Amino acid sequence: MEIKKNQNGEGLLIVIEGTDGSGKSTQVNLLDEYIKYKGYGVAVSEWKTSRLISGVINDAKERNLLNTTTFSLLYAADYTDRLENEIIPALKAGFVVLMDRYIYTAFVRDSVRGHDINWVKSLYSFAPKPDLVFYLNVPPDILIKRLIAKNGVLDYFESGRDIGLSVDTYNSFEIYQKRCLEEYGKLKKEYGFIELDGTKPKEEIHNIIKAEVDKLL
Amino acid sequence: MLRFSKKHSYQGVLICVEGIDGSGKSTQIELLHSFLKQKGIDVVLTQWNSSELISKTTKKAKKKNLLSGRTFSLLHAVDFADRLERTIKPALKAGFVVLADRYVYTAFARDVARDVDPEWVRNMYGFAIKPDMTFYFDVSPKDSLERICSNRQPGFYEAGMDMKLSNNPYKSYVLFQNRIVEQYKKMTDEFGLIKIDAMQTIRQKQEFIRKNVSELLNKRGIHIEG
Repeated sequence: MEIKKNQNGEGLLIVIEGTDGSGKSTQVNLLDEYIKYKGYGVAVSEWKTSRLISGVINDAKERNLLNTTTFSLLYAADYTDRLENEIIPALKAGFVVLMDRYIYTAFVRDSVRGHDINWVKSLYSFAPKPDLVFYLNVPPDILIKRLIAKNGVLDYFESGRDIGLSVDTYNSFEIYQKRCLEEYGKLKKEYGFIELDGTKPKEEIHNIIKAEVDKLL
Repeated sequence: MLRFSKKHSYQGVLICVEGIDGSGKSTQIELLHSFLKQKGIDVVLTQWNSSELISKTTKKAKKKNLLSGRTFSLLHAVDFADRLERTIKPALKAGFVVLADRYVYTAFARDVARDVDPEWVRNMYGFAIKPDMTFYFDVSPKDSLERICSNRQPGFYEAGMDMKLSNNPYKSYVLFQNRIVEQYKKMTDEFGLIKIDAMQTIRQKQEFIRKNVSELLNKRGIHIEG
């Protein structure tokens, strides 16, 4: 199913995608400051932050309660709630909306968890199409080092431990992240992501993003 | 292919009742439940919107009236998915007769009545297990209103007040439930629901249901004596 083109007004929808540890949030912050500096209104919306639903997701994760279908639907509910209450109103008001992860995150995670990709796509078929999607690509071995340095541990879900790939967290992480990268690779072509080498210094990446965004502004 | 579009291969049997509030379906499924139990058959009864994880959130959201039709629709699907995986599927695997008071058709009817795209909702529930038999209790919204509102005003959502069809909750109820009934009528053919006239006596309806269910269970190797 085709995702609808953003028809919600004059705002811009800009997405930064990538796995945990790929430097997304850093880039979102830099871009946020840059666009503000240029004098445009900016709103940032992160994945899984709807006030109503994100609590349920975290609670369920903690208790390791949910099956993958329930998770998919919960994330879709979280997204829909944010879309209607944050994203669309901001776009209508002419804001530049920066998304830290977007529906592609769901496409990747859900298909790695064995869901039919067409089912997932159709779940999000009402989502407005972004004006730009940046994808930060970082190989698993570097991601692991970054995440261990940052958090000291590898996250249970980001390691795909919930789907039983391996009882060893390190192995599981490698397998899971490789599969995610493969899925991102497929989506990249299909949706025309701008791929960025996430191993480069953050200023260098930011300059490329800036140049692309300038063209639109 | 999505699971909902094909027959399941579990040992158990899934039987559902559908219809708007006040159609008498809950009375009927409870009667069927105790009948099957008395006959020594392994049977469980499950209700719509009863999973503890989500019902709190749904209730909170309803109180604040802040959700769109689509978010609502997704939250109900979450609830259903949770219940399907934790209650319905294991029971079917273990060979139980599972009785569901409302099933995905409730979502199809209500969500579409709230202007959600029918195809989108059907696809979303593609992970559901297809029932072996579903009874639809046909009642007019006016009769339904008389039954449920003899001593109270219809609730905000059951009257579809969020749809702004009318400021009067009674009028709104009839208008909104009419939209739901319209959807159910379309679905009787689409999904082969067995229609029951809700204005029959309780006993008449129960006899009809027992006859149909006994035949079905017989075919599946579950025999009811007496």
